[in-house]
Amino acid sequence: MFDYVSFLQNLSNGVLIGGVYALIGVGLTLVFGVMKIINFAHGDFVILGMYCAVLLNSLLGWDPYLSLLVAMPLGFVAGALLQRLVLSRLMEAPPESSLLVTLGLALVIGNILLLTFGAEPKSVNVSYASSTVSLGEVSFSMILLLAGLATMVVIAGLYTVLNHTELGRAIRATADNRLGAELVGINTRWIEAVVFGIGMALAVTAGVVLIPLLFATPTFSGAIFTLKAFVVTVLGGLGNIGAAIAGGLLLGVVEVMGASYLTSDYRDAYGLLVFLLILLLRPEGLFGKTVKRV
Amino acid sequence: MKKHYIIFAGLVMVGILYPQMFPGYLSVAITLLLYAGWATAWDILGGWAGQVSLGHASFVGLGAYFVAVGTAHHEIAPWWSILMALVAAAMLAYLWGRLTFKLKGPYFTLSTIAIAEIFRLIAINEGWLTGGATGVFIMTLPEPFGLDLFSRQVNYYLALAFAAITVLVVMLISCSKFGYQLRAVREDEDSAMASGINPTTVKLKAFMLSGALTALGGGIYAIFLSFIEPHIIFYLLLSVQIALTAIIGGRGTIWGPCVGALLIVGSGEIFRTTFAEANMLIYGLLIMVVVIFMPRGIVGEPARYLIRRVYAKRAQG
Repeated sequence: MFDYVSFLQNLSNGVLIGGVYALIGVGLTLVFGVMKIINFAHGDFVILGMYCAVLLNSLLGWDPYLSLLVAMPLGFVAGALLQRLVLSRLMEAPPESSLLVTLGLALVIGNILLLTFGAEPKSVNVSYASSTVSLGEVSFSMILLLAGLATMVVIAGLYTVLNHTELGRAIRATADNRLGAELVGINTRWIEAVVFGIGMALAVTAGVVLIPLLFATPTFSGAIFTLKAFVVTVLGGLGNIGAAIAGGLLLGVVEVMGASYLTSDYRDAYGLLVFLLILLLRPEGLFGKTVKRV
Repeated sequence: MKKHYIIFAGLVMVGILYPQMFPGYLSVAITLLLYAGWATAWDILGGWAGQVSLGHASFVGLGAYFVAVGTAHHEIAPWWSILMALVAAAMLAYLWGRLTFKLKGPYFTLSTIAIAEIFRLIAINEGWLTGGATGVFIMTLPEPFGLDLFSRQVNYYLALAFAAITVLVVMLISCSKFGYQLRAVREDEDSAMASGINPTTVKLKAFMLSGALTALGGGIYAIFLSFIEPHIIFYLLLSVQIALTAIIGGRGTIWGPCVGALLIVGSGEIFRTTFAEANMLIYGLLIMVVVIFMPRGIVGEPARYLIRRVYAKRAQG
C-alpha cells in the first residue's frame, strides 16, 4: 500500500531543498546568459558564503540569517571585482579559457579556506535547529522552511530587478544581443561586472542559508555544489532563469525521492544521470525553446 | 623532428641513470613520471584533438582496479590484467565518445565530469566488484624474472617505461597523417569535414588511444601504491590534476605535458611543508596565470614565437 504521508513528506523536503538548488542555479545561469561563460567556481562561492556565516557566528555570535546582511553585499562587490580584474581579460578568448580560469579560481578559493579554517567540517548551531512545523501529519523542518522562504524572497527580488528596473532591462538587453545593447548606449562591460556580482551574491546567499543544514568543508563540497548547479541549469536550459528555478525544484525532488524509494547510495548519481540524458537528448534544456537544426 | 628524437633519447638515458644518482628520491620521480605520462596521454585528446576532458581519472581507476582486483581477488598476473585494462579502456572510450562527441566545447567537458562522477559512485557502492569504499590491498605480486614488483626501483623503471611510451606515441602521431587530421579537427571541424576527414572517427581514435594509455599508467600506479581507494583514484581532483598539468605545460605540444609535470610535481615538493594539504593551490594559481598571460602554455608560447621568427626570416629571403 502506498504511504501518502511519507510521500508528501518527501515531496515537501524535495521542494524546499530544491529551492536552495534553484538559488544556486539561477546565479550560474544568469552569468552564463549575459557573459556566455561557464563559471566553475560557483560552488566554491557557495562554500565561501557558508564560511562567512561560520566566521560571523563564532566571532560575533550572529545568527546565520543576520549575516546575510554582510555576506550578500560582500559577495556582490567581490564578484564584480573578480569580473573586472580577471574575467574581463578573457572575453575574446575561446570558451574553454574562462572555464579553466574559473576552475583555477575554485581551487584557489577551496585551498585558501583549507589553509585558514583547517580540514575539519564546521557548522553553526542555531536554537531552532530541530524544531518543526506540523501541517496535518506532514512536518516541515524549521530550517528547511526558512531556507525555502529566503530563497523565495531573494528570487522575487531578482525578478523585480530584472523585469521592472532600468538596470534589469539593460541586463536582459545584454543577454539578448550584446552588440545591439552597446549600440543603444548600454555599457555592457559594466553590466557584466554587475551580473557577475549578482551571481556571486546569490551563491553566497545559498551558502549562508544552507549552513544550519549542512557542514561546511573547504575542498570537497565546492565541486559538488558546482555540479549540482550545472545539473539545475542544464535541466532548465542554460541562460533561462525561470527554467533554472524549475530545474532546481526538480533536482531536489528527484534526489529526495530517488534516495528514499530507490537506494540512497546513489543519491548524487540520480541528478547526474538526468543531467547526462538531457545534455544528450535535449541540449536546449527541458524548458528551452527548440531550435531547428540545419 | 630529428631534434625531438635526440632530446627523447637523452632524457631516457638520464631517466635510466637517475636511480644510481639519487636513490633516495625515487618516489617523487615515480610521481613525476606518472603525471608526465598521464598528461601526455590526456593531451592526445585534450590538446591534439582539442576535446578538454575532466574525466580521465576514470581511466586511471579502470587500470588500477583491473590490476588490484585481478591480483587480490582472482590471482591474475598484473601484466595480463593490464592488457585487459587496455582493451577495456579503449572500449570504454569508444562508447563514451560515441555518446558525447556531438557535444561541443564546454558541454563536452561537463559531460565528462558527470560520467566520471557516476563511475566513482559505482566504484564506491558496488563492493562485490571493486571492494567498495574501503579499497583494495595488493598483498602479493608474482616475481617475473626474479624482479620484486614491490621495490621502488622496479616501480621507477615501470613508470619510466610508461612515460617514455606515451611520449613516443605522441611523437609518432605528431608527424603522421593522423596527427594532421587531429589538428585539423581541433582548429575547425567543418573545414576538416570539407577536406574529407570524419571528425567523429578521428576524435574516437584519439580518445581510445588516450584512454588506453591512461589506463596503462593507472595499472602501474596501483602496483606503486599497492593500495587503492575509490575516493582518491576516481576523484574529480585527479582528473583536474591530469588536465591542468597538460594545459599549464602547453596543449598540443610534445614536451608541454612533461614540462607541466616537472613544474607541478617539483613545486609541490618544494611547497609541501608550507601548504601541507592545500597543494592544489599551486595548480589553481598556475592555471589562472597561464590561461590569462600565456594561453598556449609554458612550452607552447615560446615554441610559437620561435616558429614565427623562422617563418619571418624565410619570408624575407
